[in-house]
Amino acid sequence: MNARSDKGPARAGRPVLFLLFILAVLLSAGAARGGSLPKVTVALAPDTVLVGDRITCSIRVDHREGETPSIEGIDSLSLKPTVLLVRRQASTAAGAGNRRVSFEFDLAVFSRERQSLPPFTVVFRNSAGTVVKRIPMRASNTVFVKALTDSSMRELRPIKPPLRPELPLSVLLPFFLTIFGITIAVLLLLFFLKRSVRRSAEKIDPGQVALRKLRKLSSRLSGGMPPRDCHEELSNILRSFLENRYRIRALEAVTQEIELDLEKNAVPGIDNIMNLLRQADLVKFADSRPELEESRQSLQKAEELVRAARTEKTEPDK
Amino acid sequence: MQHAAELEELGVKIREASRFIEKSQEQLSRKIIGQREVIQRIFIALLVNGHILLEGVPGLAKTLIIRTFATAMNLKFQRIQFTPDMLPADLIGTMIYNPKDMEFYPRKGPVFANIILADEINRSPAKVQSALLEAMQEHQVTIGSQTFVLQEPFLVLATQNPIEHEGTYILPEAQVDRFMMKVLVDYPSYEEELEIMLQSATTAVDKPVTPVVQPDDIFRARALIDRIYVDQRVQRYIVDLVFASRKPAQYGIAALESMIEFGASPRASIFMLLASKAHAFLQERAYITPEDVKAVAYDTLRHRIRPGYEAEADNVQSEDIIRQILQHVPVP
Repeated sequence: MNARSDKGPARAGRPVLFLLFILAVLLSAGAARGGSLPKVTVALAPDTVLVGDRITCSIRVDHREGETPSIEGIDSLSLKPTVLLVRRQASTAAGAGNRRVSFEFDLAVFSRERQSLPPFTVVFRNSAGTVVKRIPMRASNTVFVKALTDSSMRELRPIKPPLRPELPLSVLLPFFLTIFGITIAVLLLLFFLKRSVRRSAEKIDPGQVALRKLRKLSSRLSGGMPPRDCHEELSNILRSFLENRYRIRALEAVTQEIELDLEKNAVPGIDNIMNLLRQADLVKFADSRPELEESRQSLQKAEELVRAARTEKTEPDK
Repeated sequence: MQHAAELEELGVKIREASRFIEKSQEQLSRKIIGQREVIQRIFIALLVNGHILLEGVPGLAKTLIIRTFATAMNLKFQRIQFTPDMLPADLIGTMIYNPKDMEFYPRKGPVFANIILADEINRSPAKVQSALLEAMQEHQVTIGSQTFVLQEPFLVLATQNPIEHEGTYILPEAQVDRFMMKVLVDYPSYEEELEIMLQSATTAVDKPVTPVVQPDDIFRARALIDRIYVDQRVQRYIVDLVFASRKPAQYGIAALESMIEFGASPRASIFMLLASKAHAFLQERAYITPEDVKAVAYDTLRHRIRPGYEAEADNVQSEDIIRQILQHVPVP
């Protein structure tokens, strides 16, 4: 019992010792890892760029005091596919007797697809400048470089499928149909309005209007109107009639221009019309003073002309 | 009735006095083919003491027309080629020192003639242009301290080339305004060109032009032109046309408002009336009608209406503006 009891505590202490042993191994391994200087860490950022873009390569060197690290290999990069643009360096204390030097290189990359950092060497020098250690490095860090256009592409890429409207056709169709319907209705309305206006205008016979005015003028002449004024009024009535009957510009035209237009339209009785207009011109511009009888005769001739023009069967050229 | 009789009598006198026009036109037609409009405008300017600015590409017989016109009219003609190095003295004359009697004598320049052809007036600088325009305006020239009155009739026909503007001194608006009319010399028609070719392509001596007019004929015509009757309606029509170029909206042509930078000056009204009178004289009439006004409207207004920036952008010329005005202003 005693012997069994003696062995009992010894057996119970074995796992504890084993755990302590494991702990000591782990600690010694950690200490060995942290303490095995110099230590070099490499980082690349960003991991994906376009051709010609800039990447930053950070190399951190932990070393003992009294040594000065430098990087060889990256400094001399001056040709494509990787070009060194900027180089930065900073040194800081890293615990008792240790120092940390951070190197940063800005590189421009020009080759495509996955690219790894070129090999480089970390060189340590003592205070006298003598190389004491060289650590060749081949970093496993890579960067993916995207080309702006794919040189392997020989055909146009298919276009993206058209976006489907957010509103379904069943909703849009009635809307468009309504708009279309309203437009057609407005156009039809305008068309009928214009036609009715034109028809009503056509119904007014310029000959009838001229005859009415001439009769009124005749009664005014009998009522004591000066013959001179009568001729002027007669000229205006005739011009207005010619403009509406033959669709010529007579109110803003001189007698000569009216004659040309009437000739162009082959209006019958041009000579009589022109005689009346020229007589009126003499009254208006040459201070001619016609007799009352002359004015009456002119009015009568004008009435005859208008009547004759109303009975013309052929339409003049427009 | 009395006034009408007076006009009738004046009409008879005009018919008699205007015979020299027919005679001179006969002489002109011996050398000049076509260009009737230009010749008529020169007659108009001569009859009412105006001056003409001729614009046309080279080779349209501008000089020949004027030279022949002067010969037929029995007037002294001078052609002055304006150049950039020209001086006012080259035009009006200068004082010359005579060592014999130790005195300065005036030497009259080529401006002392009845009909002056100022060829390419815009080739000379402003001081030379001003010297000529002063002579045009005042009908007199001062050399040194002496003033000389120019011989009547005095007619200046200045030419401008519309194509070449490089190295030219463009006439300012104020000076262009002094010309009664700006006449555009156009190419001859097909038939006219054919006739010109057949008449000119010969080694024979040109048919001589005989002077058929005396200066007195012109002065008599001028006196009659002054008596030509202008009714108030026509007077108002002329003023309406000029006003429409200044305030087109008032005459129902609001679209022209932005097209015109500035409208015609009062000289336009004066010259339009004078030119209309001369036109009526050429038609052997003792009164003006709106036909006469319309006939001279383009030539008297063309250089007095300046199209604005918008018009230039739309390629609207002053002729288009005048056409619009004539179409919208009611004829009396």
